[in-house]
Amino acid sequence: MSNNSDSKKKNKKQSETTLEMVPIFIMGKKHDVPATLTIQKAFEYAGYQLVRGCGCRGGICGACGTVYRFPDSYRIEVGLACQTVVKPNMYISQIPFFPANKAVYDIEELEPTGSTVWALYPEIFKCVGCGTCTRSCPMDIDVMEYISRAIRGDIAGAAELSFDCVMCGLCTVRCPSEEVQYNIGILTRRLYGRHIAKRAKHLEDAVENVKQKKFDKGVKKLKKMDIDKLKEIYSARETEPQFGPEEWEPENKDYLITE
Amino acid sequence: MGNKKTKLHYYPGCTLKEKTTNLDDTTYAVMDLLGYELIEPENWTCCGAEFPLTEEKIVGLAAPVRILRQVKLEGGNKVFTVCSFCFNVLKRANEAMVTDPLKHKRINAFLKDDITIDRVTGDKTTGFPEYNGDVSVLHLLEFIRDEVGYEKIRALIKRDLGKVKVVPYYGCRLLRPKGKIGIDKPDDPSIFEEFLENIGCEVIDFPFKQECCGSYLSLSMPDAASEASYNVLRSAKLNGADVLALSCPLCYYNLDRRQDRIKEKFPEFHEMPVLFFTQLLAWALGVDEEILGLDQHFCDPRSVLGIDKSGVEI
Repeated sequence: MSNNSDSKKKNKKQSETTLEMVPIFIMGKKHDVPATLTIQKAFEYAGYQLVRGCGCRGGICGACGTVYRFPDSYRIEVGLACQTVVKPNMYISQIPFFPANKAVYDIEELEPTGSTVWALYPEIFKCVGCGTCTRSCPMDIDVMEYISRAIRGDIAGAAELSFDCVMCGLCTVRCPSEEVQYNIGILTRRLYGRHIAKRAKHLEDAVENVKQKKFDKGVKKLKKMDIDKLKEIYSARETEPQFGPEEWEPENKDYLITE
Repeated sequence: MGNKKTKLHYYPGCTLKEKTTNLDDTTYAVMDLLGYELIEPENWTCCGAEFPLTEEKIVGLAAPVRILRQVKLEGGNKVFTVCSFCFNVLKRANEAMVTDPLKHKRINAFLKDDITIDRVTGDKTTGFPEYNGDVSVLHLLEFIRDEVGYEKIRALIKRDLGKVKVVPYYGCRLLRPKGKIGIDKPDDPSIFEEFLENIGCEVIDFPFKQECCGSYLSLSMPDAASEASYNVLRSAKLNGADVLALSCPLCYYNLDRRQDRIKEKFPEFHEMPVLFFTQLLAWALGVDEEILGLDQHFCDPRSVLGIDKSGVEI
């Protein structure tokens, strides 16, 4: 036991000597934090408990939009707190929430045209093309460009260009024309997905087969199965080989849908 | 026609991609026949539609100057438009970069920090060079007069427009403000008349050719816009015109697409066809009727061109 705790102490001492610390300023207050932390972890290291403005911690949910600056630069930098590693002397503030208007609509009733977007977000025509939104995007999306596409009625173009948006809202925070770019972006993606994108025939067939109860018998059989047997057939199931030929088909074709 | 086409920058503007695709399509068609390959500046945005007149609120210059800088970065030294609004804004923004050192400094300082993102690699570029107003901004009417030449146009004509009586309608944006636009004399213009004569039309003069169509009043005071448009169309009719020719999508909206509203307010009003100058040129050069986009018009201009609903010659 004593040996064990000795080595722990030794380890701790070693890590203390090798751990590089950097000064950062959270909402103006200085904290020294390990240089390897992300902004999000640095907040927690400094003693903040994140209840809002903290979601997936994986760069996808867009909850942790953050702005920061360095003392020797006029630039406003942006990032997702969970993805951005701290740098010495950064002045940080998270912007976990910013009010944004959101149109209410039934996507089924809309047409995928510019007029639809213009009617739901008429302020889109206030865009002066300053490009601040593009400069503020932590996902490196050309926000101004997709807003331009929406202004000229190119729904498919706006949907494609805004595809990587995580809805963090930093574009909206900084827009001098009070646009809600990310809500306009998701509208164009919904319009595209519902009305423009080609329907997947095999998916419709599969849904139809579910409705026709084609799989019910199989599911019932599985439900009644003994757990060990279930494990066994799960492990032995056929899967598509990673580098198989294009025309690969499983040996058991009971549930295979072919066109 | 196997000759290599001359590359030329073309700024279409938003309206041409949604509400007046007939203007865009006919521009592409005629420029192809005249031997040009059109290049739209990458990532072009709305030009702003209005040139900012206040001294301090200059943010409206950012978009047009960025568009012009992009033309230059792509190696162009000129760009043409067909929309009168876009022409007016781009031309004046360009001029401001030459004549107003403070605006030049502020807009360039702002645009220097633009970011462009490569769609394939995701690489970011920033730190843009200054733009000094060295791209020339031309309206297509001007480009045809000064660079293509009417002689070349006349040599390429395939259809006779001789019986078509046309009034040229300049509206506000093509000519004014005096000294800033330079396409022609604002008080006594002739460029549109010359163009129409050279493509074979019979040109009719009328006193409302530089009057306002009602412009944006069609949104805030629709009745006032109806009256302004009514006056223009009535005068054209009284002077014996079959069709009114123009270059501005907003004039087109007020003068053609709103004719039902004009009729509501002035029951004695007679419908009158309206055509873009590029549609007339395209027709004269033998472009297919389909490309003219005549179905987009409120008042069907087919009879003026001597064809019936199905495109057959009358």
